Amino acid sequence: MHSNDIMTSEADSAMWPDGDLPLPAARAEAVTKVYGRGDTAVRALDNVSLAVPAGRFTAIMGPSGSGKSTLMHCLAGLDTLTSGSVWIGDVDLSRLSEKELTRLRRDRIGFVFQAFNLLPMLSAKENITLPLDLASRRPDRTWLDRVIATVGLADRLKHRPAELSGGQQQRVAVARALAGRPEVIFADEPTGNLDSRSGGEILAFMRRAVDEMGQTIVMVTHDPGAAAYADAVVFLADGRIVDMLDRPTAGTVLDRMKRLGS
Amino acid sequence: MWKLTRRSLGAHKRRLLATCSAVLLGVAFLAGTLVMGDTMTAGFSDIFAKSNAGLDALVRNRTEVGVDDLTQRGLVDAALAQRIAKVDGVAQAAAVVEGDGRIVGKDGDPIGGDGPPTIAGNWLGDTPLNPYQLAEGRAPTAPGEVVIDKAAATSGKLHLGDTTQIRLTTRPIDVKVVGIATFGGADSAGPMTYAAFSDDFASRTLVPHVGDATSIRVAADPGVSQSELVQRIKPVLPKSDEAMTGAQRTAEMEDQIQGDFLGFFRTFLVIFAGIALVVATFSIYNTFSILVAQRTRESALVRALGGSRGQVLRSVTAEALIVGVVASLAGIAAGIGLAQGLMALFRAMGATLPMSDLVIGGGSMAVAFTVGVVVTLVASLIPAVRASRTAPLAALRDVAVDRSGSSWLRAGIGALLTAAGVAGVIAGTSGDGVFALTGLGAIATLIGVVVLGPVVARPAAGVLAAPQAARRGLSGTLARRNAMRNPRRTAGTASALMVGVAVVSLFTVVGASIKQSIDNTVRDQFGGDLVIASSGFSGSGLSPELAKAVAGLPEVGATSALANTPMRVDGHNDVGTAYDPATFDRMLDVGVEQGKLADLTADQVAVSHDYAESHHLRLGSPLPVAWGDGTKVDLKVGAVYAKEDLIGAVTMPYAAYLPHASSPTDVVVMIDVAKGVGLHRAETAIQKVANRYGAPDVQTADEYVASVAGQVDQMLVVVYVLLVLAIVIALMGIANTLSLSIHERTRELGLLRAVGQTRRQVRAMVRGEAATVALFGTVGGVGLGVFLGWAMVDTLASEGFTSFAIPTVALAVILALGALVGVVAAIRPARRAARMDILAAIATE
Repeated sequence: MHSNDIMTSEADSAMWPDGDLPLPAARAEAVTKVYGRGDTAVRALDNVSLAVPAGRFTAIMGPSGSGKSTLMHCLAGLDTLTSGSVWIGDVDLSRLSEKELTRLRRDRIGFVFQAFNLLPMLSAKENITLPLDLASRRPDRTWLDRVIATVGLADRLKHRPAELSGGQQQRVAVARALAGRPEVIFADEPTGNLDSRSGGEILAFMRRAVDEMGQTIVMVTHDPGAAAYADAVVFLADGRIVDMLDRPTAGTVLDRMKRLGS
Repeated sequence: MWKLTRRSLGAHKRRLLATCSAVLLGVAFLAGTLVMGDTMTAGFSDIFAKSNAGLDALVRNRTEVGVDDLTQRGLVDAALAQRIAKVDGVAQAAAVVEGDGRIVGKDGDPIGGDGPPTIAGNWLGDTPLNPYQLAEGRAPTAPGEVVIDKAAATSGKLHLGDTTQIRLTTRPIDVKVVGIATFGGADSAGPMTYAAFSDDFASRTLVPHVGDATSIRVAADPGVSQSELVQRIKPVLPKSDEAMTGAQRTAEMEDQIQGDFLGFFRTFLVIFAGIALVVATFSIYNTFSILVAQRTRESALVRALGGSRGQVLRSVTAEALIVGVVASLAGIAAGIGLAQGLMALFRAMGATLPMSDLVIGGGSMAVAFTVGVVVTLVASLIPAVRASRTAPLAALRDVAVDRSGSSWLRAGIGALLTAAGVAGVIAGTSGDGVFALTGLGAIATLIGVVVLGPVVARPAAGVLAAPQAARRGLSGTLARRNAMRNPRRTAGTASALMVGVAVVSLFTVVGASIKQSIDNTVRDQFGGDLVIASSGFSGSGLSPELAKAVAGLPEVGATSALANTPMRVDGHNDVGTAYDPATFDRMLDVGVEQGKLADLTADQVAVSHDYAESHHLRLGSPLPVAWGDGTKVDLKVGAVYAKEDLIGAVTMPYAAYLPHASSPTDVVVMIDVAKGVGLHRAETAIQKVANRYGAPDVQTADEYVASVAGQVDQMLVVVYVLLVLAIVIALMGIANTLSLSIHERTRELGLLRAVGQTRRQVRAMVRGEAATVALFGTVGGVGLGVFLGWAMVDTLASEGFTSFAIPTVALAVILALGALVGVVAAIRPARRAARMDILAAIATE
């Protein structure tokens, strides 16, 4: 038995007592990801199983090289698996063609990256509606207005990314991720390039998206302060899930990190 | 710094490969052209050397009148040969009688022609003066006996004892082949055909009077030099004749072929090589600009760490030098292959050019190499200077600043140059047409437009891509924004295509205008029913007997023939037109203003209004004229007419010209069908007669116009084929720029793919951008081409370009093809963009 067996399906209900959800928003089952071959093979993910409950803010933490970004990429359908399976809602990603995967990312997933989130030749507004436009989908006006109001960008919509501050750019990115009402939003170190004040704002918006708009967010971070905004934290080390923490605070996260590191 | 250059070359192999190929193609074309020129020159030199191998001196008439191909030299007295033979130091002297005669093959078709000479002459016998040697049979002695060259015998399937015809300009002659000759060991004198009669028979068929000779060939006794020989001969010559050494004659022949056929051939091809190289220059400039822009941080780092501007400049220049040298060397190799291929192609097409083995001259190779290297260096100069100006601080900035390229300075200079150019062109075309001014204006306009390119690129791309942005949704919008975001790059890429398309459009417009002009002129002036015209290239003309024979048919009401008359008018060599005044008026309406053409007598000329004005002539004024036989007369102006585009400025009755012509031929026979006879019936009857005189086509006016239009179209096809190279280089330029842009936008593409852009959408986006850039270049090129085409037509109005025509369909096809070129160029870059690994793209720093 591996230690990451704590994430079996029975464990789910134990971890989240109020999670009487029939279906997690995203799910990894015995996911293994190996880069390279033979002697140089690196096991980035080693038999990881994880369920991301809908309507929650989940943080994935771990030291660099722990496989946290790889896990996110696999969950989001950006990377292929060596073995195991990944589900978004009721869809098994391994059964999808490249084209279907692209459509799934476009229609059911939102993304916020650490840097370079926006297309320089599009305005803020156009960047926000990018996935919708790619799908030729008509945006839901009320929802869009609400998203824009929430991130506080109403007066910056016509601006090009180059005319916005780093924090504003990330807010546009969050708005874009929210615009299509995806089933799950993946955020990869969204505050990694920001000062603490701007970072705090972004995390607050993400928190509100979960609380007030019912969104599901998975965030990869190495900052205990950022992880404290989440409902739960999953700790990764050497490609395995080594610990979990419910209702974290910066203090408890830091505590747990230290223990893992020692 | 040298290390940096080498590393940098290694790191950008793919991109530099594309740059290299642009240089390579241009140099290959140039080198191939030069090699072909050298090879053909060597081929001709070989023929001339053999022709004159035993010739120590040539005696001929001093007088030559006419211009270009239409010249006539006076004749000499054949009996002079005997007088020369008696001069001390002369071993032999032989009178040569030569004319034009096409040998008819077994199948009834004439052999050779269409350019290379078809010579009929007298058989000089077994002497060093005769470049031909009997290989089979015997020398001709009786009338109708002929010796032909071996190559003609082979291609015409003629054997000893066969009977056939020799078509002289005056009439066809029935002959019997009694001998087959070789030329200095070869089967023929290159592409020339040769038929030789006995002295007596040649004298009776090839020259106007028995006893006339074309020239006298002289061989010296051993120990007498050529110049010594000429000095000794001179005293016995009449004043009308001249003597030259064999070496001088050979040099003269070489000069003639250079100035005439070879010079044209080479200039023509070199112009297209030049166009290809100009297009290549733009491509190279663009690639280096992008490479330099991408390396801004690198260059800045070098500067920040203490590298001087000169070092950065030298590193980029060294890179360009290596690219130029490598590509030029490869281009020369490819050019030699190209020349080989082209010659094989010419041979396969049955073209008869003197071909020896390839001559690879050091001079030509040096030219091609130097041009290739210089073009590369010049094209990389501005990017190199720009790289050296990188501020050390740029290393610290995140993204390279996109200089907009639309500075006021640029807009001002561009607008000024363009305006000056356009003004120059318009000034050049107005009035009499100053070709030099038009040409300078055209160059200024071109440069102005290129300078202005980056300024207009953004709005132009915005407009051109608007339809696809509206139709294609986001992919279209992104394509449009991408085309607009870097105006300098867009303009640079488009410029390469623009130059190529401008030349294509220019030729298309000029071609259409020529066709329109001919159509209008013929419709306006031609009043007859049918035409027989000598085909353009053969130059052998129509037999004067043809018009008479046709006139004798019951189906024919009247005929009038036109002949070109080589002559000297008022001291200038010229070519006039002769006709039968009795019937001329019924066929052509040239707008007679004074006098009557029908009343012209043998001592009169008719001149055009413009000619009369510029030479201060009135009815009755004398016009001094010299003929090819040496006669000088004053012809009196008997009529003045308005339209000179069909018949030229100086015309006269047949009777004025005929006594002085050595072998008169007609160029056109115009025919009025007899009343009550159907056109078709008349055409059939006339064609039957024409078949006896070399079978020229009998055509209606419409058919005649169509056949001329067909010749124009043939020329256009050749031009298009030569321009394909320029378009291919432009296409590679677009593909190269696109690949570099895509490489630059890796992270953008990764983001787009991550948030759900499908591969198909990525491809559509890249294609859309390429099509926009291509369309920008094409629209600019077509606009420029039409403008310059108009300028050229207008400037040459006096040369017969009476109408300016815009071939809308052809131009629409060019526009569509231009956009298509963009799409084709985008295929590979689009595929690569679509295949991009998303994770790697996102992770890219």
